[in-house]
Amino acid sequence: MDKIARIDMGAAGGPKVTVGDLGEYAGLGGRAMTSLMVAAEVHPLAHPLGAENKLVISPGMLSGTTGSMTGRLSVGCKSPLTGTIKESNAGGQAAQVLARLGYAAVVLEGKPEGDDLYKIVINKDGIQVIVDNSLKLMDNYPLVAKLRQEYGDKVAYMTIGSAGERKLLAASIACTDPELRPTRHCGRGGVGAVMGAKRVKAIIIDDAGMKMRPPKDPEKYRDANRKFVEGLRKHPVTGEGLPAYGTNVLTNVLNEAGGYPTNNFKSGQFADSAKLSGETQAALEIQRGGSATHGCHRGCVIQCSGIYNDKDGNYVTKQPEYETVWSHGGHCGISNLDTVAKLDYMDDNIGVDTIEMGVTIGVAMDAGLAEFGDDAAAIRLMEEVEKGTPLGRVLGSGAAITGKVFGVERVPVVKDQALPAYDPRAVQGIGVTYATTTQGADHTAGYAIATNILKVGGDVDPLKTEGQIELSRNLQIATAAIDSTGMCLFIAFAIMDQPETFQALLDMLGSFHGITMTGDDVVALGKKVLSAERDFNTRAGFTKHHDRLPRFFYNEPIAPHNQTFMMKDEELDEVFNW
Amino acid sequence: MKNERKTNLILNMDQDQLGDFFPLLQKGVTVEAHVGCSLELLLTHQWQIPAEYAAQRITTIFLNSRPIDSLATAIINEDAVIALSGAMPGLVGATMRRGGYYAAMREGITHHATNGNVVDRNATVRVKLFNLLLPELGPGFLQRGIIIPAGELSRFFNGKSEHFWQGCRSALLDNFPILPHLLSREDLFPDQSTVRLSVNFPNS
Ligand code: SF4
Repeated sequence: MDKIARIDMGAAGGPKVTVGDLGEYAGLGGRAMTSLMVAAEVHPLAHPLGAENKLVISPGMLSGTTGSMTGRLSVGCKSPLTGTIKESNAGGQAAQVLARLGYAAVVLEGKPEGDDLYKIVINKDGIQVIVDNSLKLMDNYPLVAKLRQEYGDKVAYMTIGSAGERKLLAASIACTDPELRPTRHCGRGGVGAVMGAKRVKAIIIDDAGMKMRPPKDPEKYRDANRKFVEGLRKHPVTGEGLPAYGTNVLTNVLNEAGGYPTNNFKSGQFADSAKLSGETQAALEIQRGGSATHGCHRGCVIQCSGIYNDKDGNYVTKQPEYETVWSHGGHCGISNLDTVAKLDYMDDNIGVDTIEMGVTIGVAMDAGLAEFGDDAAAIRLMEEVEKGTPLGRVLGSGAAITGKVFGVERVPVVKDQALPAYDPRAVQGIGVTYATTTQGADHTAGYAIATNILKVGGDVDPLKTEGQIELSRNLQIATAAIDSTGMCLFIAFAIMDQPETFQALLDMLGSFHGITMTGDDVVALGKKVLSAERDFNTRAGFTKHHDRLPRFFYNEPIAPHNQTFMMKDEELDEVFNW
Repeated sequence: MKNERKTNLILNMDQDQLGDFFPLLQKGVTVEAHVGCSLELLLTHQWQIPAEYAAQRITTIFLNSRPIDSLATAIINEDAVIALSGAMPGLVGATMRRGGYYAAMREGITHHATNGNVVDRNATVRVKLFNLLLPELGPGFLQRGIIIPAGELSRFFNGKSEHFWQGCRSALLDNFPILPHLLSREDLFPDQSTVRLSVNFPNS
C-alpha cells in the first residue's frame, strides 16, 4: 500500500484522478488513515454533504496480506448524521482487494455539478470514473446483480442504495461478501449519504493480476499468523461461541442482566427474548438449510456470521447481528425472527444502518405511528423509506430527526446517533463510552480489547467504580488502534485473555513492516487517532456538553433493577484527560 | 415446594432431538433443589457439575438477574432464578463475566453476598441455560427432571414435527407406557396441573 488516489468529483471538465505517494500518511491504514486525513484536510465547519467534505476509504494496515482477520475496511468523513468526525468500518472483500492493488486510501473529493451518476472502476491499470445513469435509484441487491453482468464475479463491489442517493442520514455503504452479496455495511453515521452527495453509486475493485502484499519478514509473519490463529481457535468465544451462534448469542445474556432495551428503552427485559436469541436463530438457520457459521470475508477464522433462509429454504439475508436483532426486535416489541430477517434484508438493500433504522422505527412507534409489536407496521414504515416518500425520508434520516418531527421525548441518541443494544442504566460503564466517544453513541468505540495487558494509562483497579472512566478511556484508545490494523474487533477476547495471542498480533504488525512493535506503540497510535478526532470535533463546535446521555437515562429508572444512569458529568469530562 | 400431585412423564429420546428442548431450557425450567446453600454447593454437589468445568466453562452466571462474581457468597433462596452462560463476546459480554476485568462497568447490578437467614430446605429454583451450556448441561437437567406446567408442556408437544416423534423411542406416563404421538393431545394432562418431565438421551 504505497499510494493514495484522490478523485476530484467536482473538477472542471469532469472527475479527475490523481495518484500520489503516501507523504505524511505513510504507514497508516484503516481508522488511523481516515481520521488523520479528515482531521487534517476537511474544514471542521464544512457541510457534510458539500464539496468541502471528503470520503476517505482505507483498508487496514494488514489488509491484503495472508494474515487472518485482516479484511476490515474503514470509511471516514465528516458525518452528516452527527456533525462529528466519523469512521465507519465493515467486512466484506473490498479491503483485501483494494490493499492488494496498492492503495492505502482512495479519497473522494469535491462534488460534481448536475445530475449524472458515476461508477468508479479500480484495477491494476488504474482508475476510471464513468457516467452510468442507468444505475439511478437502484437498490443494492439489483444494483450488484446488474454490475456483475458487466464486471463479473472476481471483483469486490462497494455500492450505495437509494437511501445514499437520496442523501438520507442513515445511509450506509455496502461492501460485497465472498458470495458477492451486498451484506457488509459501513453503516454508522450516514457515510452513504456522503458518497451519494458526490454522485458515486458504485466502486468496482478488481485485483486481477495482483499478488498478496508481501511481509518484510515472511517467515516471522507466517509464524506469528499461525500462533494468532491458534489463539483464536482455542478461545471459547472466538473458537466456539461466535462461530456457533454469532453475536446474537448476547440476547439471552443482556436480557437476563436487565440491560436489553425494550419498547424504546422502557424496560430492560423483553418477555419474548428467547424467540430472538442467537441459540434459536442458529437452530433455525441450520434447520432451513442456511448456515450459522460463515465468514464475511476470506481469511476470517472466527466466522461469526451465517445465512438466513426462509421456511422454504430460500435465501433471505445474512445472519442478522445482535444489534440488528435487537433494534428491529425487542426495541420495537417484535419477537419474530422472520420479520427481523426481512427488515435486515430491506436495510441492506435500501442501504441504511440497521441500528439507526431499528431505533428510528421504535421512536416512531413511541410517536404513535405504529403499535409496539406490530410486525407488519414496521415493514410498512421501512417501505416508506424504500419509496422515498416524505415520511420515508424523515425516518431514513434517523432517530433524532424522527423524534423531533414527531415530538417524542424519549429519543435514545448521543450526538444524534442512535444508541445500540445495551442499556447504559444497567451497564453504566458502557454509558461512559456512549457519552464520550468521538463518533456519537457507538458500542464498538470502546470495545473489548487487551487494556489489562496494554495497561493503557497505568494500572487501573477495575473493581472500583471510579475505574470505569479509566476503563472507558483505555478501551477507546485500544479500539482506535485495532480499527487501524484492519483486524476485526472480535479478536478482542482472545487477545484479552491470552497474552501470547496478543503478542502474536504485535509480531504480525512488526514482522510485516520489518519493525519491532510493542504494546506502547499500539497505545500511542490509538491516542494519536483519538486526539485528532477530538480536535476535529472541538473545531466543529462540540464541547463537553455534547458528551452526555439524553436526560431520560438520568430521570427514568429502568426495570428490573430500577436504576438510572449515575455517572457524574465531571467524571465523564475526565475520559479524555491524558 | 408445594405438595400438589404431579404427573410423571419419562421420555427416551434419540440424541438428535436434544436441540428440540433448547427453547425450554433457555427460557428457564423449574427444578427441585435443596436451597439455603451457596451457589457453589448447588452447582458442584447437588447438580454434580465438576468444579473445574464450573470455573472454566460457566463463566457468566446471573442470580435473580444480577451477575455474580463469587459462587461461594451467593446463597440460593427458594424460587431463585439462576442463569448459566458460557463466555460472551463484546465489551458487554466481558463485563458480565464472573470476576472479570470489566466487572466494575456493571457494578450497579452486581449481586453481592446474600444477607439474612435463608432457610435450609427442599424447594424449587428456576434454571436457564444459554449458548454452549445448552448441549453440555442440558441433558443432565433433563434427565434429573424438570417441573413444567401442563399447558406449557402441551404447547411444547403441539409444535413438534414428525421427526421429533420418530426420535421419541418410548414414553412412560405415571409408569405406564404410552404411544409418544398421544402426548400431543391437549386433554392428556389435567388443566392447571404440573408435570415432572424426565428425558433420557443415549449418552446422558
Ligand atoms: S468475525 Fe464476523 S465480523 Fe469479524 S471478520 Fe469474521 S465474519 Fe466478519
